[in-house]
Amino acid sequence: MRRLGDLPLMIYGVLVLLFLFLPIAIVVPMSFSAASSLTFPPTEFSLRWYQSFFQDPRWMEAMRVSLLVALLSSLLALALGSVAAYGLVRGTFAGRRLIDANFMAPMIVPPVITAVALYIVFAWVGLLGTLPGLVIGHMLLGVPYVVLIMSVAIRSFDVRIEQVAFSLGASWFTMFRRVLLPNLMPSAFAAWIFAFITSFDEVIVTLFVAGAYQTVPKKMFNELVLQINPTITAIATLLIAFSVCLFVVFALLMRRAGLLGPR
Amino acid sequence: MSTARWRPPPGAAYVMPLFLAMLLAFNLPILLMLGRSVSGLEFSLEHYQRLVEAPVYLRVLANTFKIAVISTLACMVLGYPLAYWMRGLRPGWQLVAVSLVVLPFWVSILVRTYAWIVVLGNDGVVNRTLMGLGLIIDPLPFLYAELGVVIGTANILLPFLVLPLFAAMLKIDDRLLDAAASLGAPPRTIFRRVFFPLTIPSFGAGAVLVFILTLGFFVTPAILGGGRVPMIANMLETLINRMPRWELAAAISTVLLVVTLLFFALYRRLSEASEGTLR
Repeated sequence: MRRLGDLPLMIYGVLVLLFLFLPIAIVVPMSFSAASSLTFPPTEFSLRWYQSFFQDPRWMEAMRVSLLVALLSSLLALALGSVAAYGLVRGTFAGRRLIDANFMAPMIVPPVITAVALYIVFAWVGLLGTLPGLVIGHMLLGVPYVVLIMSVAIRSFDVRIEQVAFSLGASWFTMFRRVLLPNLMPSAFAAWIFAFITSFDEVIVTLFVAGAYQTVPKKMFNELVLQINPTITAIATLLIAFSVCLFVVFALLMRRAGLLGPR
Repeated sequence: MSTARWRPPPGAAYVMPLFLAMLLAFNLPILLMLGRSVSGLEFSLEHYQRLVEAPVYLRVLANTFKIAVISTLACMVLGYPLAYWMRGLRPGWQLVAVSLVVLPFWVSILVRTYAWIVVLGNDGVVNRTLMGLGLIIDPLPFLYAELGVVIGTANILLPFLVLPLFAAMLKIDDRLLDAAASLGAPPRTIFRRVFFPLTIPSFGAGAVLVFILTLGFFVTPAILGGGRVPMIANMLETLINRMPRWELAAAISTVLLVVTLLFFALYRRLSEASEGTLR
């Protein structure tokens, strides 16, 4: 069975992996190029594109907005989503499946539809082009990941441990603070990272509802549609480094929470 | 603290804050959008009528479906052998391969799309290599054409097919394959009659997922298509931000939403079937 044309299969598999990895393998070296045009491989190296990114006040402002929106929306998604996940897992009320499906919906509905719907409503209630509007939009997209990750974490946490705390006289709040929270910390942190990245990378809802607010992806998108600016290679590389770091932290946290691979 | 053995309420209370937030910020907006698509002074289907009558909208819808089908097929052709090969690897190499599939998945779509401009442009890596080899004289127009959009889309969505398919393949019991071999089946027959049929549900589910995601794809067609490969999502952006024709945008969104949900139901059915066959 294993020997079904092993060599051609291996070559094909490696080529497809290369195809998957090609964008990253190209952008990173290009960002260190000294040339003004995008040619690969670069002949001379410099940090000029990083310099032009960090010295451009418009990029720095976009970075500030991105971080602010990602921080606010991910914390909001984490708080609401974790509490809701607890209710979904431990609760026994009717309609749980329906509510769960509702919380997952922003992940399934194409983001562009969410964007159109939010645009129409925000224009009506005056949230278009405001920071709260942007935070709400991003929060929605982060919620499914938080509910998903936290539900798994809470389900794998033995309910009897909670019951023991109650039987020893702890109030729900004490149990939450002293028993549940410390145990769910790694998962909560992982869920927060997911929500943060979701918001930090978001383009579509931002393009529709942000108005004059610029986030890094929105500014990147607008520049890419118009022209090819090598500064973007530097930003792209920074974003790749940032994503990979968060991925490593995420994987370590999930492993620590016992939700990924052997403990 | 006086009420010892205080038990948490049945759970509905915990769900309420998020449910209210979703109701106000997601469910209601979607419903209002659906309402908008049939509203005027009174209920009417005129926006849908416009949609069907104007050839430009139908062309964009057809084009979106075409690109989604081609991208899905590309992912299937690339993804199945990759997942199959990964299944046969030793655990250490398997981890490396899975990481190589997961990592791009984690990197911003915008960044990965951007990279394809560099790769596929007239002065890009591919064209310069082909010209350097003397295979072509003029650069091939990958960018701002359907081919570029399909390449970028397939690249970005491939992990959505490979990861679940690989997971499903791992669950296939080797003893089934050994049993077939001990009964005298040659490898080709084992693959065709035992292994492949067991992977069909998850293969199908992955393909449907890629298809759904391409239907609503925005960033990659906008950048790699350069406005020349119109897809539904990009048309919506034009109708909302530039025209503005909200009612029409709402009608088109509704069509896209319904189609997406139909295919999502198919996806759910296939992934449940996949769980069933492998348990």
